[in-house]
Amino acid sequence: MNLLIECKKIKRTGLFPTFFIGGILAGLFPLLDMTFRAERYRKSSQPPIEILFSADWQMMAMLNTLLIIICACFLYYGEYADHAIQKMCSLPIRESRLFLEKFMLMSFLCLFVFVIEGAAFTYCALRWFGGRMDFFPLLTGVFKNFGYCFFLMLPAGLLSLLTASACGNLWTPLGIGVICLCLATMIPVNNPWLSLFPYALPFQMLAGTRAETVIFFVTAGAVECVVILLAELLFLRVRRAFA
Amino acid sequence: MNMIETQNLSKSYSGFRAVDGISLHIPKGAVYGFLGPNGAGKSTTMKMLLGLIKPTGGSFVIDGKTYPKDRVEILKEVGSLIESPAFYGNLSGRENLEIIRRILGLSKESVTEALELVELTQHRDKPVKKYSLGMKQRLGLAEALVGRPPILLLDEPTNGLDPVGIHEIRTLIKSLPERFGATVIVSSHLLSEIELMADTVGILNHGHLLFEGTLERLKENALTWGYPSDNLEEMFLAMIEADNRQRGGVR
Ligand SMILES: Nc1ncnc2c1ncn2[C@@H]1O[C@H](COP(=O)(O)OP(=O)(O)OP(=O)(O)O)[C@@H](O)[C@H]1O
Ligand SMILES: [Mg+2]
Repeated sequence: MNLLIECKKIKRTGLFPTFFIGGILAGLFPLLDMTFRAERYRKSSQPPIEILFSADWQMMAMLNTLLIIICACFLYYGEYADHAIQKMCSLPIRESRLFLEKFMLMSFLCLFVFVIEGAAFTYCALRWFGGRMDFFPLLTGVFKNFGYCFFLMLPAGLLSLLTASACGNLWTPLGIGVICLCLATMIPVNNPWLSLFPYALPFQMLAGTRAETVIFFVTAGAVECVVILLAELLFLRVRRAFA
Repeated sequence: MNMIETQNLSKSYSGFRAVDGISLHIPKGAVYGFLGPNGAGKSTTMKMLLGLIKPTGGSFVIDGKTYPKDRVEILKEVGSLIESPAFYGNLSGRENLEIIRRILGLSKESVTEALELVELTQHRDKPVKKYSLGMKQRLGLAEALVGRPPILLLDEPTNGLDPVGIHEIRTLIKSLPERFGATVIVSSHLLSEIELMADTVGILNHGHLLFEGTLERLKENALTWGYPSDNLEEMFLAMIEADNRQRGGVR
């Protein structure tokens, strides 16, 4: 694996700043929400993390998924725009490796956004629900919750990369991704079967969810990742066979 | 000894035969001129040798390695420039070469050397999307040359270059076997251009190989066919025309 190469490829594309700004925006969301509606939330007796997630996560998850879709499109657009992919294919590497490295880069960028968002949540919990929870249990809580959300983000990331790698331009995969995201927002979060749609999984949250449901979604997420990865490998093979 | 050999290599696109059973013999350490008019199948053949597209018939061996079994092994030895240069427009020329260098696991100097070979050193830090056509072409060449691969596939390498550039690149290509021990395949539309670089030529028309051999043999043939041997271009055009006529006037 050579992640450094993929990092170098996105130099000057604005992808890093996009994720940075996206992360800040998503992090600002709970902050603003709490600033204006703290009183309403303070009345609730739920644990702070649960309050914050149920109040703000839907919006934030949408932003995160949108970021991931854009990221996937730009990562492959860079390859197709000036035929760079043809050069890559005539070097002694496998195209599947390219896909995996892009996926890893995307995961890191996503992790970066989650760190900003996690920090915002921690700050909100301390600032507005200070008395209810100690710092370290709060931190582990935030960590667990975002870890869960991160994992459930991966299938959407893989699927976006798959469409981007198949399309070879910028607008088709972006359109497909946005349409899928719109569909996903219409799916009720508490419908477990419909929520299995990869773009709906990022809207799930850990706090306040029963253990069986968590196991169900983690298993489903893992299975989806494997299936999408296999689909990409198959797609590359078929495309090569028909080239 | 032949570095590259193909056997009845063919490629059809839904019934249309772009390359029709050609058997090439490319000697080691030679500059091999691959000649043919538009649509003859030159690029298609080169893409097959790189494994970018899949042959629909026949086989080939490169440096003793067979496709598709040793595809990755073959690619380690081949530098290529096919059709238009390929690059990341947001990166500079040097950064583009750095990426290839890292993938191939070469030394840092190989990038500097490649930039010097194609005289791009001055523009190495400009983003490639701001390059002129000729500069992009030079970068494409540098991408093929980086790391001194033993085999080079260059598809119309002088495309878009000015007369001085064309002369430089021709001289460079001609010198590659001696300097780096490379085997070079160059494609072109012009026999006059190939004449200046190549020792051996293959002439392609409509996917068929019309002639393969040394330039001397081509000149001898010209004499026997009644063409002036000091103007091979004329003979080349006549050859293509005769072949087209034989095919029923379709072009
Ligand atoms: N993907 C494709 N689908 C259908 N036909 C194709 C495809 N690629 C190439 N061809 C056809 O194959 C033939 C050979 O094309 P090729 O690009 O190899 O020609 P060439 O010798 O490189 O020509 P030029 O000198 O113009 O570059 C052409 O008739 C072209 O239309
Ligand atoms: Mg061509």
